[in-house]
Amino acid sequence: MTTATVDPIKFEVIRNALTQATEEMAIALRRSAYSTNVKTRQDFSCAFFDRDLRSVAQAFTQPVHLGSFVRHVPIAIERYGPENLGPGDMILSNDPYGGGVHLNDISLIGPVYYQEQLVGYTACLAHHVDVGGGAPASVGAFREVFQEGIIIPPIKFVKEGELDDDLFRLVLSQIRSKRETAGDFRAQIASNRTGAIRISEIIDRYGIEEFDRYIDEIIEYTDRRTRTELEKLPRGVFEAEGFIDNDGFTDKVVKLAVKITIDENGVRFDTTGSDPQRRAPVNSTFAQTFSACAYALRALMDKDLPVNDGFYRYVHVEAPEGTVTNCVHPAPVVGGWETHVRLNDLIFEALAPALPDAICAGTKAMQCHSGFGGENVETGEYYCFLETIAGGYGARSTSDGPDAVQTHGQNTENAPIEETEANYPVRITRYELVPNSEGPGEFRGGLGLRRDYMFPEEATFTILADRDKAGPRGLFEGERGSKSVYALIRASDSEEQHLSSKTTVQLEPGDVISYRTSGGGGYGAPFNRDAQAVLADVSQGKISTERARERYGVEIDVSTQKVNESVTEKLRSER
Amino acid sequence: MIASTGGRFRIGVDIGGTFTDGTLVDSTTGRVTTSKVLSTPSDPASGFISAVQKLLDIDDAVSPEAVEHVVHATTVATNAIIEGKTAKTAFVTTEGFRDMLEIARQIRPSLYDLQFEKPPPLVPRQLCFEVPERLDAKGQVVTELDESALAQVVDRIAESGVEAVAVCLLHSYRNPDHEQRVGRAIAAKLPDIVISLSSDVVPEFREYLRASTTVINSSVAPIVSSYLSAISEKLRAVNVTCELLVMQSSGGVYPAAAAAENPVFMVESGPAAGAVAAASLGSALGHPDVISFDMGGTTAKASLIRNGQPSITKDYSVGGAAQSGTGAFGGASGYPIRTPVVDLVEIGAGGGSIAWVDSGGALRVGPRSAGADPGPVCYGLGGEEPTITDANLVLGRLDPAYFAGGEMSLNLEAAREAIQTQCADPLGLSIQEAAHGIVEIANTAMVNALRLVSVQRGHDPRDFMLIGFGGAGPAHAVRLAEQAGIPRVLIPLGPGTASALGLLVTDVRMEGSATLIVRSEEIELSRISDEFGRLESAGRDAHRIAASASGEPVFERAVEMRYWGQSFELSVPTPISSTIDQTWLDELIEAFHDAHETAYGFRANDEPVELVNLRLTTIGKIARPEMRRLENVGSDASVASKGERPVYFAENSGEKGIVSTPVYDRKRLPAGAVFSGPAIIEEPDCTTVVHPSWTVKVDDYGNLGIEYDGKL
Repeated sequence: MTTATVDPIKFEVIRNALTQATEEMAIALRRSAYSTNVKTRQDFSCAFFDRDLRSVAQAFTQPVHLGSFVRHVPIAIERYGPENLGPGDMILSNDPYGGGVHLNDISLIGPVYYQEQLVGYTACLAHHVDVGGGAPASVGAFREVFQEGIIIPPIKFVKEGELDDDLFRLVLSQIRSKRETAGDFRAQIASNRTGAIRISEIIDRYGIEEFDRYIDEIIEYTDRRTRTELEKLPRGVFEAEGFIDNDGFTDKVVKLAVKITIDENGVRFDTTGSDPQRRAPVNSTFAQTFSACAYALRALMDKDLPVNDGFYRYVHVEAPEGTVTNCVHPAPVVGGWETHVRLNDLIFEALAPALPDAICAGTKAMQCHSGFGGENVETGEYYCFLETIAGGYGARSTSDGPDAVQTHGQNTENAPIEETEANYPVRITRYELVPNSEGPGEFRGGLGLRRDYMFPEEATFTILADRDKAGPRGLFEGERGSKSVYALIRASDSEEQHLSSKTTVQLEPGDVISYRTSGGGGYGAPFNRDAQAVLADVSQGKISTERARERYGVEIDVSTQKVNESVTEKLRSER
Repeated sequence: MIASTGGRFRIGVDIGGTFTDGTLVDSTTGRVTTSKVLSTPSDPASGFISAVQKLLDIDDAVSPEAVEHVVHATTVATNAIIEGKTAKTAFVTTEGFRDMLEIARQIRPSLYDLQFEKPPPLVPRQLCFEVPERLDAKGQVVTELDESALAQVVDRIAESGVEAVAVCLLHSYRNPDHEQRVGRAIAAKLPDIVISLSSDVVPEFREYLRASTTVINSSVAPIVSSYLSAISEKLRAVNVTCELLVMQSSGGVYPAAAAAENPVFMVESGPAAGAVAAASLGSALGHPDVISFDMGGTTAKASLIRNGQPSITKDYSVGGAAQSGTGAFGGASGYPIRTPVVDLVEIGAGGGSIAWVDSGGALRVGPRSAGADPGPVCYGLGGEEPTITDANLVLGRLDPAYFAGGEMSLNLEAAREAIQTQCADPLGLSIQEAAHGIVEIANTAMVNALRLVSVQRGHDPRDFMLIGFGGAGPAHAVRLAEQAGIPRVLIPLGPGTASALGLLVTDVRMEGSATLIVRSEEIELSRISDEFGRLESAGRDAHRIAASASGEPVFERAVEMRYWGQSFELSVPTPISSTIDQTWLDELIEAFHDAHETAYGFRANDEPVELVNLRLTTIGKIARPEMRRLENVGSDASVASKGERPVYFAENSGEKGIVSTPVYDRKRLPAGAVFSGPAIIEEPDCTTVVHPSWTVKVDDYGNLGIEYDGKL
C-alpha cells in the first residue's frame, strides 16, 4: 500500500469479507430457488455496490451479467431516485432501454442501511425461465421488444421488507411458469437480505468511516493493478469482422466489427462498422456490448485481479447507437447475448497476431438457448423450461480446446437429465459429444455437443442460437470447427429436417428436436499435429480414421491401433 | 456398546503427508500413548506397521492379542485420484449417454482463464459403453434391457482388461432392476473384477453426480482393497488379529471389508478424524457445540460440530481446487461425490504458506507453500521465501532454541531478513509490522473458513467453543477466535496428535438411504415406514457382520426435504414419536419450515413440501476411553515458568506492541492453574499463543481452557 494511512491488514480483511458477502448471496439464491435454470444451472449473479453506485465486490458467477450489472444498477437506481428508497426497500428492473439487457434477466436491487445511513446496494440478477411474451421461456424471434415479455422499469417491489403483493400478482400474471418464478423471486429477496446482513456485520466491526475509506482503497487497489496490467499489453490498432449467421427473420448475415486501440490512454473498443439494428432478436444493448468488452479485457489480465469499479473504469467502449451493438427502442433484444458473445470471439481474433499465446481460436460463442413449454398434462400447470447448450472451445497455442464446455461470459451448468424428466414432460434421448466436429489444427478445437429432446405431449419449442452456416474460426492455419445443426424429427416422418438457428416450432407428441452444436476452431496447421495426439482422438472415437488421414495426414492402423509411420510421413510430405 | 473381545487396548493410525501418527489407548486406565514415524508414500503400509510396532514396543503390558481393534484413517483413495493412479475401469450406461462423465457439468473451472483445462474423465471414452434400455422418471420401463446387446458389451469389457466396472443407468435410483441385470451379466463373465452399481452406491437422482460417485467407488476399490489386505496381513504378522476398522469421510468407522467394497465412503478419511476428535473432546467436557480447527504445515481445516456431531455435506468434489464451501464452480475442477463427507473447509494456510507482495502493492499469504522441503526460511534448509512460521518466529511467538522440543534450532536472523527484504521494505513497514501482517492476513483466510462453517450455515460463533490442534493450530487459535467472535478456546492435551486420537472415539456408522421424491400431500405413510423398516433391517445385518457385536445398534433417521420445485434439500431429523402417522408428518413438515427459515431467512407455509430421500444411520456405539486426570494439581502456574521473552502483540498498547511475555512449560502446568494473557505455552511439538485479554485455566485433564475476558 502506498498510502501511509491504510492498514494493509485491515484492507485485506475487509476486501475478503465483502467478496464473501456476495458469495453468501449467491448461495442463498441458488439453494432456495425453484427453476432449474437458477437453482441448478446457476444462471444468476450477485454483487455489492457502494453508495456512489460503484461496483465493489461480486460473487464468482456469470461474467456476462457482472459486466452488464455495472451499467444497469446505477441507471436503475438513478431513474428511481435513491432518495425514494429506504431501509428494507428493493426495486425490480429488467428494462433493456434503462441500462438493462434482455427481459429474462431481472435485477432486484436493495439499498443497505446501517443505522439509518445509506452504505451501499446489494443487487442480484436472475435469468427467469419465463417473462411472458410470444413464446414459452420468452425466447423467440419477434419484431419489437413489446412482444418479448413484460418490461419492468425500476419499481419498488419490496417495501420496508414486505413484498408488494399487488405488484407481485401483476408481474406473475404476465408469466407462464408462475410457481417457479414466484419461488425464484423469493430467492432473490433472500439473497439481497443475506448480503445486507453481512455488510452490516462488517460495518459493526469497523464503523462506517473506515468501511467507506477501505472501499475507496479496494477500488484504488484494483485501479493500480489494472494500470500495471494495461502497461503490459501490446500497443497498436487491432481489427476483426465476423457475422451472426442470420437474424431470425431474414437469412441475411449480421455483420459485427470491432476495432481495438491500445495506446498510452489505455484500451478502446469500437464497434463502428457493425450492422444497423434489425427488427429481429439479434440486437445487443449497450450494457451487453460493454459486458463483452469488459470480459475480453479481464481475460487478458492477471487471473488474480479482483474486478470492481477500479477495473471497469478502464473499459472504454464506442458502440454507435442504432447498430446491433447498441440498439435503440423498440428493437427486440432477446438474442442480444448471441451478439455479445460473438464479439468476444472477434476481439480475441483481432488480438491474435499481437497476443498469440494469450488468446484462443473461435469458440462456440453463442448462448445456444433451448426453450420450451406448454401445459403439463399431469399437473395441469403451464410449465416452461430453458437451458443453454455447450459446444467446442477454441484451441490455444499450446493446448487443444476442451470438448463440450460453455464459452466466454457464459458458464451455466447443464440440467441433469433425471431432474429435467422428473419435473417437465420431456425425455432427453441422447446427450453426447459430436465426433469429427473439431476444428482441425496443430492443436484442435473442442468437440460440439448433441442433445436430443423427445416430447411425449404437445409443446412449443424455441431455438435461439446461431452457427448454422459456419463454424468457429481457426487461427494460424487452424481450421474452422463444424457448424451447428438444429434438427426436427417428426414422429409422423422419420426424415430429419434442419431448422434455422432462430426458430419456434409447435411439436406433436413423439416429435424430437436435436441440437448438435459447433466444435471449436483449430490453432496451427493440422498437418503439424502430433500423430500420437491424432491417434488418441481416433482411439477414443472422437475423430474417424478417415478424418485423421484427410485432415491431419495421419494414417492409423485400425487393427493395431497404432500410427502407420511410413504412410503418415508420405501423406504429410505430399501436403 | 460393542462387546469387547477381551482386549484392553485400541490403536489408531493416521497417515499424513509427512508423518504417520499412532495412538494407543489403554481402556482400563485411559492412558494414551503416541508414536510418530515418517510416512512412506511409496508403500504406506510399511509406515503404518512401523507406527503400530512402535506402540506395541512401548511396554510389555501391551500384548498384540490384547488389542481390541485398530482404526485407520488413510488418504490412499484420494491420492490415487489426485495422482491419476486409479484402477483401469469401464463405465456402462444407458444408450445415448456414453459421454456423461466427460461432459460433466459443461462448465469451466475458472471464469476468465482462456487457457483452462477440464479435469480428464476417470474413464476414457473407449471404455465407456452403452446398453439399449430406458426407464422414465417414475422408474417405469420405457425400453426393455436388450440382453443380446448387453452380452456384446460384456464381451468388449472382458477384452479391455479392466479391473473394475461402474454401472449407472438413467433413473436407476427409482428402479434398480436393469442395473442389477447388467451387474449380474458382467459378474457371470468376469467373476473377479469389482462391479459397482449406482443404485447400490448412492441411489439418488441427478445422473452425473451418481455416476461420478459410482466410478470413483469402483476405480479406487482395487487399490483400497489390496492396500487393506496388505495392512491386515502385516498386522497378523505382528499377532494383531483383531478387527481392522476404517474411518469414513463422514466421521464414523466401518469394517475393512465394507471399506474394500464401498471405498467412496472413505475418500476424505483423514480430515474427518480431526473433526471427530474435536467432537468427542467437546462432548466429554460438556461442550457439544464446538468449532474444530486443525492447522498443519500446508493446510488448515475448519468444521462445525453441533450436539456433539460434526455436520455433514454431500456437495463435495475430490481432487478439485480448494473448496470454498459454496458448492459453486469450485467443484468443476474435481470429481463430485454424493456420499456424506464431514463438512469441512480446507484452505491453503499452514505454517509453510509463503508471504509475498503483489503487483498492486498488497501483502498476500499463500496459496503457495514451502511445505517441509525446502520449508520456511528459518529452518535453514534452503527456503528463501518468508512463511507464516518465519513470521511467528520474528514476532517472538516461537522460541528459536526450543523448536521440536529443542531438537532443531531456528535461524531467526534469516527469517528477519527475508521478511524485511521481501515484505517490509516494499510496503514501508517495520519488520515487526510486516511479520504481524503476514500472520493477520493468514488469520483472515482462516477466519473466513471459520465463518463459512458457522455464520454461513446460520450459526452464531458466540455459541461455540473453538478447539485448536494440529502442529500450528495452537499458535493461531486464540487470535482467530477473537476475530471470529468465539469467546472460548480449548487446546487439548497433545494437540499435535489429536487427530489420531479421534480414530479411537468413533462409533461404527453405516449409512443407508432411499429415494422418495414425493410431495407431502401425496405420500403414503406406509411407504415411509416400509422404507425405514427396510433400511433398518439392512442396517442390523451390517451391524451384525461389522462388529461381531452383542450390543444393540442405535438408529438415526432423517428426511431430506425441500419446497417442491427447489433442488437443494435440507436434512430434517425425524420426530421422536416412533409411529409414523399424520401427526408425525405434520411435525416433520413444521421442522422443515423452521430449518428453511433458519437457513435462508424465509418460509413458505403454503407451498407444497417434497420428501426427497430417507436416510438411516446405523450406529454401533464404542465405549469412549476415560480421560485421565492430571496428577499434578495446583492453582499456581509459576511452577511451570520458563521465564519471559519479548513477543509482539499489535493489540497491546505497549511500546511498539512488544511486551515481555511469560513462557510456560506445558507438561509442568498443574490442573487448576490460572493465568492471564499474554502468555506462551510450549510443548515439544506445539506452541500455544495466548493474546492479551484472554485467561487460561488448565482443566482437570490438562486441557487448556482459554476464555476472553470481556464480551465478544
